[in-house]
Amino acid sequence: MSTASPPLERAPRGARLSLPRIPLGTAATALLLLVLFVVDLNVQPGLWDVDQLGMLVQTALPLVFVAAAQTLALLVRGIDLSVGGVFAIANTMTAVWVGADGGWLMLIAVLAVGLAAGAVNGLLISYLNFQPFIATLGTWTAYSGIALMILSTDGGMVPTVLSDMLYASWLGIPSSFWIVLIAFLLWRILRASRFGHQLLAVGDDEERARLNGTPVRRVRLLVYALAGACAAAGGIMLAGVTSTGSPTSGDGYILLSISAVVIGGTSLAGGRGGFGLSLMGVFSLTLISDIVTGANLDVWVSVAASAVLLLVMVTIRALADRRTARSAA
Amino acid sequence: MSRLRGHVSVSTASAFGLCAVLFLIATIHSSGFASGGNVRQLLVFSAFIGFAALGQTVVVLSGGLDLSVPWLMAFGGIQLSHWAGDGMPGGVAIALVVLAGAAIGLVNGVGVAWLRLPPIIMTLAMGGLVQAYLLSLGVLNTGGSGVPHAAEAAASDRIGPIPVVALVWLVVAIGIGIVLARSAAGRRVYAVGANDEVARLSGIDVGRVRLAAYALSGASAAFAGVILAGYVGSTYLDIGAPYLFASIAAVIVGGASIMGGRGTYWGTVAGALTLTVLSAMLPLFHLSDAGLKVVYGVVILAGVWLSQSGGALVARLRQRSSSPTPASPEVKSVEP
Repeated sequence: MSTASPPLERAPRGARLSLPRIPLGTAATALLLLVLFVVDLNVQPGLWDVDQLGMLVQTALPLVFVAAAQTLALLVRGIDLSVGGVFAIANTMTAVWVGADGGWLMLIAVLAVGLAAGAVNGLLISYLNFQPFIATLGTWTAYSGIALMILSTDGGMVPTVLSDMLYASWLGIPSSFWIVLIAFLLWRILRASRFGHQLLAVGDDEERARLNGTPVRRVRLLVYALAGACAAAGGIMLAGVTSTGSPTSGDGYILLSISAVVIGGTSLAGGRGGFGLSLMGVFSLTLISDIVTGANLDVWVSVAASAVLLLVMVTIRALADRRTARSAA
Repeated sequence: MSRLRGHVSVSTASAFGLCAVLFLIATIHSSGFASGGNVRQLLVFSAFIGFAALGQTVVVLSGGLDLSVPWLMAFGGIQLSHWAGDGMPGGVAIALVVLAGAAIGLVNGVGVAWLRLPPIIMTLAMGGLVQAYLLSLGVLNTGGSGVPHAAEAAASDRIGPIPVVALVWLVVAIGIGIVLARSAAGRRVYAVGANDEVARLSGIDVGRVRLAAYALSGASAAFAGVILAGYVGSTYLDIGAPYLFASIAAVIVGGASIMGGRGTYWGTVAGALTLTVLSAMLPLFHLSDAGLKVVYGVVILAGVWLSQSGGALVARLRQRSSSPTPASPEVKSVEP
């Protein structure tokens, strides 16, 4: 371990080891995704049609954004359970406050609300020293209550600009692909930025990041704020896809997002992983449930397969990590 | 160690204090709140949380977390109805369900202790597997008739003015309190939670402590599911859903540290009572379900802050005044 690394340059412990390890993990996840995709193509031959495939990607869009939020939190060695509440606030706001005639500016305002809600988490965690799990457990409940205040039962009207955009195609490719692509590019830009380096430095080794002059508290605050905005984007997407608002829609996404991100390969120990991996995790889960539906299997098969997949992926990584740790010693 | 105990008793006492203050406010606002019937109701509801959070407390003390609690509660009710429907006597079925819950919890323990999987992930996946199993049973629409009489009796019988559930809970709490505070097993749980590497080096079988903690959590969650199903009179898949939040919140409001090594079951008991009194009193103040949730969330954050900041704040101030750059409290494990 070198202690003299210049600030802002990411120097993970054992950079030497990370070279063969990280691509291996990525390859494993990509292989898994490929296998599932091939199986799904056999079960649902309709997926050869790009529009059909676009519909499948569209159903995954809400989870894509919640997983982005969860990835950010996990990367700084945290967790965000409040994504469910922020998601629900954004979802109900889109259906009630923005309404059928609302425009993009109002949707951006909804994202800003998500940003603010996330910033509250960040304040609790960074400045009041709450454990991330506890802070977001509390705000999840509070935010779910706010969503219920906005809309007490399912309903409302979703802006037509949003649903039109979601069901449109550009250059013959369904918009859902473009949305995922843009989200991924935004992540790459973020990751390459100064802030992205700081984010990974804080997650990798907080103490060293602090000694290197990284404003650890501010970085963490910003990360949770961004996570809030991402979760809100997920809520907006679900409203657009389903054309309705639901105050309880977010709860199912909390544990699902953790599963997707961990299957992708982002570590709970922070500093390792990224949104690209999480995307693969999200689509693996989406494909599993699509395969189960296509093969007319009972719904429990999908639940069991997702859980087994989570266990297998995380066990393989734990064993591989232990082996590299042992060979390094 | 004695300083540590001091903090614990302060936070347990403050959790009971918070509960008492809330109860007083509610009673002043409407005198019916302190009536025998209402207090009995509160005790029974608290017992559901108390049992769901029993194993959770030990798991948290040992440095883990159990997210499979809500699914094990659903398992407790649904599997019970299933077996009772097949003609198994109620008492036997309850005992078997609790044992099966312990076995499922044991698998959690194997994942955490031997495969070294993060507890959140292991118990999340196990929750998924239990959910899948319950879905595959296909008996989710069991009506009230499906819950055996023994479970209904366990949930509603009284001895004198006091519900049996509350008495059982009291006895169990005294037992667990003694085991955690006085026995060698209890000391091992705290040692593993405080620092598993140090615990291992001082000769404690860390894996066995973890296995036992998760098995206890599985058993207590399944039992909570049994009495909850008995009280509701029917079972459904989401019956345990509120208890993911409640079981963890009770532990935390009771003053335990989510990082492990600090807390008591009596704190959890106070936490369970506080949560129950809070959700029962908020409707008196004409709060809608929505407002109730908001206040619930805020009060829990405030409660955690109060119960944890007292000792921690003092310690941090002391640390800050003694050394300008506090070293990381985590002791990184070093493979020999």
